[in-house]
Amino acid sequence: MIESEFALTAVKLILLAMVSLLLPASYRVIAGPRLSDRLAAVDLITTLLIGIIVMLALVEGTQVFVDMATALAAFAFVGTISIARYISEGRVF
Amino acid sequence: MLLEILGVIALLFGLFFCAVGVLGVIRLPDTLTRLHASGKVATLGVFGLLLGAALLMPSTALRLLALGLFVLLTSPVATHAIAASVHRRREILDELEQDPAPPEEEAEEEDFQVDVTAALSRSRIQDIIEAQERALRHHQPDIKRPGDSD
Repeated sequence: MIESEFALTAVKLILLAMVSLLLPASYRVIAGPRLSDRLAAVDLITTLLIGIIVMLALVEGTQVFVDMATALAAFAFVGTISIARYISEGRVF
Repeated sequence: MLLEILGVIALLFGLFFCAVGVLGVIRLPDTLTRLHASGKVATLGVFGLLLGAALLMPSTALRLLALGLFVLLTSPVATHAIAASVHRRREILDELEQDPAPPEEEAEEEDFQVDVTAALSRSRIQDIIEAQERALRHHQPDIKRPGDSD
């Protein structure tokens, strides 16, 4: 838990900034000229989401969110690898 | 208090690299350069955020360390997979562009064919001229069937 008011306010402001970074990152998902651009942007958004969940764990003061972030990182890795394989090979398996 | 100040500084470090990575993904011109920018978010940005969170909340430092090691291992692998797929796709496209390289041989063949047809038409024209001369000699201006008059 965070006791001091200064650190809690700073963490909340940084959380707000991280969430506001999601909107310009999703621009590349919509306007990316190729599939690999969109995949890279989705990977970037997932990485930002991991940071946002960790900041949320700081604000809430619970440890459960860190486990959620770990699960999200694992599934995002598998998804990115499989879609990259689909781009290069034309099939996943 | 010192730990909290250090933690907020680490969080600002991570936020700065996240913002720079998002800016690079939006602004850079090529797919590979955009991948270069988003790789910085994965390593420096999120690792700075996790370091700041571990400094601010030391009870979860072990879980945050595990998550940081996992991100540090898997995210460059994912970025490399995307870059390799882009590279392989480009190689395939280059091969497809180089495949119609035999147009030179085709062009030579076409020239040869053009020569043959030109020679054929030349001989045909000579045949017609000879038939016309023969017909004029025999006062029979029938040039449609020149072989009959002989």
